[in-house]
Amino acid sequence: MSPVVDMSVPDAELSPGQLSRRTMFRRAGLLGAGLTAAGVLGTAGEAAAATPQRVRHNTEPRDGYLWLAGDHHIHTQYSSDGMYKVSDHVKHANAYGLDWMVITDHGSVAHAKIGVDKVNPDIVAARKIVKDTLVFQGLEWNIPAAEHGTVFVAPGRNELATLKEFENSFDGSVKNATGSSPQNEALAIAGLNFLADAVKRRRVEAALFLANHPARKGLDTPHEIRAWRDTAPGIAVGMEGAPGHQAAGIAKPNGPGSGRGYYDNSPGADSWASYPPESYKTFGGFDWMTSTVGGLWDSLLAEGKSWWITANSDSHTVYGDTSDRGPGSDFNANGKYNDPIYKGSFNLTNGDFWPGYYSRTHVGAKGFSYTDVMDGIREGRVWVDHGGLISALVVRARQAGVGQRGVSLGDTLHVRKGAKVEVSIEITLANVPNWAQFIPTLARVDVIQGDVTGPAANKDVFTTPATKVVKSFEVGGNTGTVKLTYQVGAVDRPVYVRLRGTDGNRSAPGLLGASVDPNGPQIDVFGDADPWKDLWFYSNPIWIVPRG
Amino acid sequence: MILGLDAGSRTVTEAEHLLHDMVKVLGLPAGTVGCTHFVRTSTGVPHVACSLALLAPVSGIPETVGAALGDSRTGQDSGIPVGAALGDSRTGPDDLAEGAALAAAEHAAGAGGRLVLFPGHDGLNGTLTVAEVLAGSSIEQVVVLAQTEDPSPDTLVVTNDHVRPQWRDGRVILLTMPASGGRLMPAEVPNPTPCCVDHG
Repeated sequence: MSPVVDMSVPDAELSPGQLSRRTMFRRAGLLGAGLTAAGVLGTAGEAAAATPQRVRHNTEPRDGYLWLAGDHHIHTQYSSDGMYKVSDHVKHANAYGLDWMVITDHGSVAHAKIGVDKVNPDIVAARKIVKDTLVFQGLEWNIPAAEHGTVFVAPGRNELATLKEFENSFDGSVKNATGSSPQNEALAIAGLNFLADAVKRRRVEAALFLANHPARKGLDTPHEIRAWRDTAPGIAVGMEGAPGHQAAGIAKPNGPGSGRGYYDNSPGADSWASYPPESYKTFGGFDWMTSTVGGLWDSLLAEGKSWWITANSDSHTVYGDTSDRGPGSDFNANGKYNDPIYKGSFNLTNGDFWPGYYSRTHVGAKGFSYTDVMDGIREGRVWVDHGGLISALVVRARQAGVGQRGVSLGDTLHVRKGAKVEVSIEITLANVPNWAQFIPTLARVDVIQGDVTGPAANKDVFTTPATKVVKSFEVGGNTGTVKLTYQVGAVDRPVYVRLRGTDGNRSAPGLLGASVDPNGPQIDVFGDADPWKDLWFYSNPIWIVPRG
Repeated sequence: MILGLDAGSRTVTEAEHLLHDMVKVLGLPAGTVGCTHFVRTSTGVPHVACSLALLAPVSGIPETVGAALGDSRTGQDSGIPVGAALGDSRTGPDDLAEGAALAAAEHAAGAGGRLVLFPGHDGLNGTLTVAEVLAGSSIEQVVVLAQTEDPSPDTLVVTNDHVRPQWRDGRVILLTMPASGGRLMPAEVPNPTPCCVDHG
């Protein structure tokens, strides 16, 4: 919900423009009891249609926003390694509580030629059947010279044409440009410029790119990530903090017995040689770039530039599912597999969960609409969790003791130099069982803080020296709400603060030492990583910048 | 003396085939140290080259993969050219000769490279203790990822019959990671998930 219509925000805190809009709404009789959070300021048609159905998820705004759970990494029968119908994923995601989702079939010759067109009517149909989950069409882009990434656009007249042109022009597989080379890196940049241009020329209303499983094979170098972000800061906005395939580490014979997230790779010819061997593994289910306090993600945040994390299912084939890929399929000729069939046995070697079942990316949206979700992601009002560890998270950084409302995740708090700043943290604990039928307990919340030191001179740096865990709160509960306050103290230099929480089941000193992270996530045990017994949440950062 | 070889392999699996073929062609004795190396040459794409530690001079380095042996997999000469580097001598296409020289230099310095063939390699099967790994092979140290201390000698290592130590600072190190039951396994997993291999 916009602060304009959020009556918990006093008039005095609004900008002149916001106040003028509020006044306009007041005069029109639009403000007051009748004004629900569900998107009065969203796209008018969509909001009106969506509001009546939105009785189950997150109808209540928290801190002025609808916190909409979603997943931007999902594969269907239009992926050569997928199998499900679009509607299978949408109905499951909706049942498991997702408010938004992105269909991201792999870029490929067959997909660029056939699948990209064929999947669109399936998505359009799913939007009509399931009205309270927003379904975006996207692509899992083979980033030239690098890993995979989600690309998606706001639905609209040119949605399909834009995605199709993008894939045919810039997909690494389609263009035979997956290898590590300066030319291929340049093609990735050209792809992002294409998206930026499509938005600028109003061909599509919005476009986003997020890097998927970024450290899995050592292919996304720090300089490439920085180049993506700096090329298109409103489009290249982040990466998967946690990859999908979270069931892949369940022990045999009841599971695939692989690496959690299918992180079972070792360096290859295209890998960046400076990445340490640990970078190929997951830690508490999270990618090394995110899970290492003071590591690559923090080195980006320490530049003072936005780069957000997400958590997704990467759902291709679901753990324990009884269905099988449609028989008699000819993927290359048809661009898809035939509809799945009943197999008659449980597939325990599948490594994925349905969207919403385990991994959730929670986005603070001003309303229930496609562009509100995209705005929330772009602005970093995002936190992520596994296994329903917590139900809601409201974080505000503000000047202490002056009754200020402060700023939310992804935002920057500007204060005068020396002002005392606090971060208030309100956590709604799990309260209800997750999809594994237990109510997770939040054992501990860690506050991670770092100095903002400006643009990195070395574009390949992947550590930052001043970031560490500065405070840990023992919580030890799973019902009710917890309010915590972290006193940043007098702020004399730019800093950022982010949060991490855990069920406390598996902790170990961080890779950069116990003085940086005394109780970080442990490296996941290969072939024996029960994802339900090692749960974490991560928030995106808030920056605090003193003036003068 | 280290012989560098480079057939422009894009994967370590291809490079390992080259190593095995060359050992046969050149009639090298058991226990010869053979490695793969990731190389980036001045031209061409990043790829994997090989190196072999020679105990005696050799002759007849084939100019193409499979040329002398008859390809062990297809029975035919694949015709893929091989670059070689031995001391100051270089043979084969420039790009591959450069890759071969990089591989040989890395091996000679013990600065990098992944050991495929090495003394004791044949015995590293099944589940062994750290002590057995160290005693029975040229591996000098077992390291556990994300752990500062070395594992205790009686820790079990599930080898998966796939042990590929590496050169680090002149020593042969085996990187391992936690496996089920408090055991370890090599950090390099055989046959990793072929993500989306069937894309067009």
